[in-house]
Amino acid sequence: MASEAEDGQAISGVWYAPQTSRAMTATLRLEDGGRLTARDEAGAVLASCELPAAAFSDRVGSIPRRIAFADESAFETDDNDSVDRLMQPLAKRGSGLVHSLERFHPRLAVFVVLVALLAAAIYRFAVPVLVEVAVLVTPPVVPELLSSSTMTTLDNTVFEPSKLDAETQKDIAEGFDKLAAASAGGADGYSLNFRKGGHIGPNAFALPDGTIVLTDELVEMANDNETILGVLAHEIGHVDHDHSLRQVYRAAGVTGLILLIGGDVGAGVEDILIQGSALLQLRHSRSAEAEADRFSIELMHRTGHDPLAISRFLELIRDKLGDTSESDFLSTHPATPSRIEETKRYAEELMATMPD
Amino acid sequence: MDIQEAEAGAPPTPSMRREQFTFTGTGREYFGIWIVNILLTIVTLGIYSAWAKVRRNRYFYGNTRLAGASFDYHARPVQILIGRIVVLTILILYNLAATFFPVAGGILGVLFLLALPWLVMRGLRFSARMTSFRNVRFDFTGGYGGAFLAYILGGLLTWGSLGILAPIASQWMWRYTLDNLRYGDRPIDCDPRLEKLYGQFVMPAAVFVIGLVVVVVLGVSIFSLASGIGLDLEDFSSDFAVGGILLAIYGAFLPFFLLFVLVSLLYSAGARNVALSETVIDGQHLLASHIGRWRYAWIAISNFFATLFTLGLARPWAAVRMSRYLAGVTVLYSAGSLDDFFSTVKQSEGVVGSEYMDIEGLDFGF
Repeated sequence: MASEAEDGQAISGVWYAPQTSRAMTATLRLEDGGRLTARDEAGAVLASCELPAAAFSDRVGSIPRRIAFADESAFETDDNDSVDRLMQPLAKRGSGLVHSLERFHPRLAVFVVLVALLAAAIYRFAVPVLVEVAVLVTPPVVPELLSSSTMTTLDNTVFEPSKLDAETQKDIAEGFDKLAAASAGGADGYSLNFRKGGHIGPNAFALPDGTIVLTDELVEMANDNETILGVLAHEIGHVDHDHSLRQVYRAAGVTGLILLIGGDVGAGVEDILIQGSALLQLRHSRSAEAEADRFSIELMHRTGHDPLAISRFLELIRDKLGDTSESDFLSTHPATPSRIEETKRYAEELMATMPD
Repeated sequence: MDIQEAEAGAPPTPSMRREQFTFTGTGREYFGIWIVNILLTIVTLGIYSAWAKVRRNRYFYGNTRLAGASFDYHARPVQILIGRIVVLTILILYNLAATFFPVAGGILGVLFLLALPWLVMRGLRFSARMTSFRNVRFDFTGGYGGAFLAYILGGLLTWGSLGILAPIASQWMWRYTLDNLRYGDRPIDCDPRLEKLYGQFVMPAAVFVIGLVVVVVLGVSIFSLASGIGLDLEDFSSDFAVGGILLAIYGAFLPFFLLFVLVSLLYSAGARNVALSETVIDGQHLLASHIGRWRYAWIAISNFFATLFTLGLARPWAAVRMSRYLAGVTVLYSAGSLDDFFSTVKQSEGVVGSEYMDIEGLDFGF
């Protein structure tokens, strides 16, 4: 059968009249004068048109090939090789190239390795670059909207107004202003808010527009302004490094990529990939915490405060909240004991190289 | 072990011809298509995914054969690419709005829920019109109301009644998707009767109840055994405690989840049997489905784990295995020739394309 089409011999298949399901055994060949012609078993012409006017379906595996004539009648055949030879004069290479890549061949093993390497490379390099670009082009109004809506929600649901006395608030705010003035955003780049934490307890956090929230419970637990300033410097670090925006963009980017290959991996595995990427996000969250710890040490040191303040606060967490877990698996923050060790080491190193 | 396992026997009337669906694809052949799809999708940062979808669908449709002919899929990749860009943009805007304005996000969520039936309807219509068998295209005539009933109310009904009213929801769903389908110029009728759907509901429900009892009894006895032999649960170091709590949560949750998946698979296979077996094409050709429910659940679950444990490499084999099984349990009893159907959907793709291209891509995100 292979060489038949070349000598003008016929490809056998089935012909359908335009718009109907009526099938007729037929043959197809390129006749003199370059006309593609389908004939029935008796040799009568069923359809005929110039070769370039016929539409050939792409070759996929060994599914039947469909050749549509200009009059919308169609010829169908399983003889893919002969059809390929028939359409050679058309020199349409694109789809043939994909099919030849798809053939079962040792090369496919290379593709498997390439997929694994490329997926890792995209996750490791391309996603971070895209995240940086997204952070750069984000107009300032986005973090402002994000922060004000989060703050409103929290005020309506969790927080109550602070019960701290005015003097304590004033002391902390003065220290905070000095830290802010020495940071990238300047004195106006950050705002400190006191709240009663309710069920979130002793806590401090930063929103991407520079809003920093400090709960009464944390002030009471620390009971020392220098320690509290160490925590606030840590939060300023989160703002300066755009940690929360980066986290939003990274999650969106990775999920988007997984959705695009979803049809090929199946729904169950797609869900697992999305859950797994959420677990991997935690690693970024932990490195962001470590980065903010170092920022706190540097800022405290630069402004003439005690760089060890953040370590003292972490020791408080360990002692008062009993957080002695060595494991940071499945956690947004690094394990407290190792954070204490790391912050102490870094603070001492900094003080040794740059004494006051 | 259940009635559906039995091979569907002779045609309903002697004059009918039994035509068996077959699937002729192989894991070996699909593997190449699959890995090239993924590779090119990654290399082109997702753009190729539209071409990948067309090649994947053409492979599966083209290998599904009936009475000497095969199905075909005619969507053009560019249509799908544009559809995906539109849908992706909407999803991104929606997520941004939901993050930045929680209140507006809530309103948008409701709007989205109301728009969903419309999107499903257009998606089904696009898929039907892009599918052909023996040179004749399918069409879909379902409207918004039916989609709302089938996909929104049906879901609420199933969850709200803890599954007891699931057969009503599946009646709506199958009626919407199959009864509104047309093959060329001829109607397809599908009216799965509620009592038959409830007939398929009994066994999965019993499995669920028995499974629930077993899981709870086992859980309680393991727990009391652990405390009985003096394992003081508070004595773990806190490191252990974190891991232990996580393990306990997953350990307690997982059996219920697996049970739920198993029961859903058993029931949906039974519902497919009922729905297809009550489907009539052009008032004379009868469809029939005789899935073995346990067999189907086994294939689905083992496919999932095989794919997982081979880091995805078994996926082509698994997908082909499922298609082959489903084709093998589906039959058409034809009352006469399949020659006399006429396409009513205009095949000049420009018309179909420009009107519906914005709708494709709905297959992800839900």
